[in-house]
Amino acid sequence: MSPDFELEGVCLDYRSGIRALDSIRLTINPGEQVAVVGANGSGKSTLLKIIDGLAFPTSGSVKAFGAPLTEDALEDLAFRREFRSRVGFVFQEADVQLFCSNARDELAFGPLQLGLDEAEVERRVNDVATQLRIDKLLDRPPYSLSGGEKKRLAIGSVLTMESRVLLLDEPSSGLDPRSQVWLLGVLETWKKEGRTAVIATHDLSAAAESADRMVVLSEDHVVVADGPPEEVLAQHELLLEVNLIHEHAHRHSSVTHTHSHAH
Amino acid sequence: MSFPALNCQGDIAPAAPGRRRRRRSLARRTADSLNRAISEVFENEELAGRPGLLQRLDARVKLASILLLAVTASLVHSVWTLLLLVCAGPALAAASQASAASFARKVWSSAGLLALLLALPSATAYITPGKVLVPLGAVSLTEPGLMGAATLVLRVVAASGFCLLVIWTMRWTELLHALSALRLPGVIVATLAMAHKQILTLLRTVEQTHLARESRLVSPGTTREERAWVTERMAFVVRKSLKTADDVYDAMLARGYSGPVRTLVRLRTTPRDWTWLTLCAVGCAALVLVDRLLLAR
Repeated sequence: MSPDFELEGVCLDYRSGIRALDSIRLTINPGEQVAVVGANGSGKSTLLKIIDGLAFPTSGSVKAFGAPLTEDALEDLAFRREFRSRVGFVFQEADVQLFCSNARDELAFGPLQLGLDEAEVERRVNDVATQLRIDKLLDRPPYSLSGGEKKRLAIGSVLTMESRVLLLDEPSSGLDPRSQVWLLGVLETWKKEGRTAVIATHDLSAAAESADRMVVLSEDHVVVADGPPEEVLAQHELLLEVNLIHEHAHRHSSVTHTHSHAH
Repeated sequence: MSFPALNCQGDIAPAAPGRRRRRRSLARRTADSLNRAISEVFENEELAGRPGLLQRLDARVKLASILLLAVTASLVHSVWTLLLLVCAGPALAAASQASAASFARKVWSSAGLLALLLALPSATAYITPGKVLVPLGAVSLTEPGLMGAATLVLRVVAASGFCLLVIWTMRWTELLHALSALRLPGVIVATLAMAHKQILTLLRTVEQTHLARESRLVSPGTTREERAWVTERMAFVVRKSLKTADDVYDAMLARGYSGPVRTLVRLRTTPRDWTWLTLCAVGCAALVLVDRLLLAR
């Protein structure tokens, strides 16, 4: 079985000439839970967009499920339908992802676009709404929801597609502690179901808890580490260098001491 | 890293009593207007959820019947028939559990006033000669001029009142589904849905930008500076909306969008809807007939 994604020497330059990703070589196998960690602006979101065929590399190649993932390939309706049904993307900003007029339409949008029949779509919408505890909000417009509810709805809008691969961009940002715990539970379930998940985050503790592999992007937009979370997290100097942890002074009563901190 | 030394210590002196309040700055007034606009959207949502006459109707039937009333307003010519239609607006608003007084105030203060300003010059003897009713020299108001102006104003008020009823008694989502059911292309409906959502998101952004500035402002600038600030923010919003539009399009692509938009909505009509539509159709036809008879005299 081919890997879900293979990136070979992927570089991406913005029109302004600024480099967003540099020589990325990455293979993501079926069922893997990969956390892509890096400081702000390191290229995590761009990498997810490339994996989802929403941005295309300036040089290098991307393969998805054994086939080249290019702009031309996505013009082919059959390929696009197959690819989109396999990969779901939860965007960092829920406001961007929620574009329908109410929560029910939002949950139904993906499966309907994939051509599923209405009875099946309705079943998925109700199931996911109940699971995410947003069943009382189905007739409300997304703009009237709270930040946490929006995030749940954004995740739900991808869950109804029952994708094999889930890409999550900073999924825990803007979530209250209870919702964060709920999200970790969701990731755990996906892992048990054997789904692939790629999570872009700079929250090291969340990444360590949910992923079985950690890819570190430096502020120069290159992959500087790739391995099990415990091995990556042990590289203290590297994490300091890529701005994922920092030295932090603390005072306990009259004693001040310094240690590393991740945020 | 070092911060500037603290320059304000101790208690703050109370404001001098009897000071006249300064006129609010243009930026502040803009922020307040934005806040009002957002609040109105939420109030309309609440109003649209009440169990009133129009709210209980099927969205398509409601839209069709109100369209019928608006078309009738443009077909009739007699001031009396138009007056009847103008009165129908507040009556329907009251039957839909909305305040008839607020309804009338809203319609007359916006559409009514604008139509009056536009129509008034045509009531003068200079443009419409005839029997002078209000002598004001070269700009005396004539009987046919005033009748023409009254017809225009009443027609505008009646039609805009019916439009307001749609806004007040229909959730935005219902309206979009009704438009969809009435065969408006899916792309246009989807664009309208996204535009509505984006406008609200951007309204919030602009309001917060204005408030962020206000929180750091000691004294408002000159009117010119204020205008420049508001204009700059407008440019900022345009840039931001373009960026957001790109992001939203990416989010749509990621969930399989490839052109036509399908939704789950299935609208159903009941005998009540058909009764209402028939009554409206008969009533409108009767009004047009009566109007013709009145004009024939």
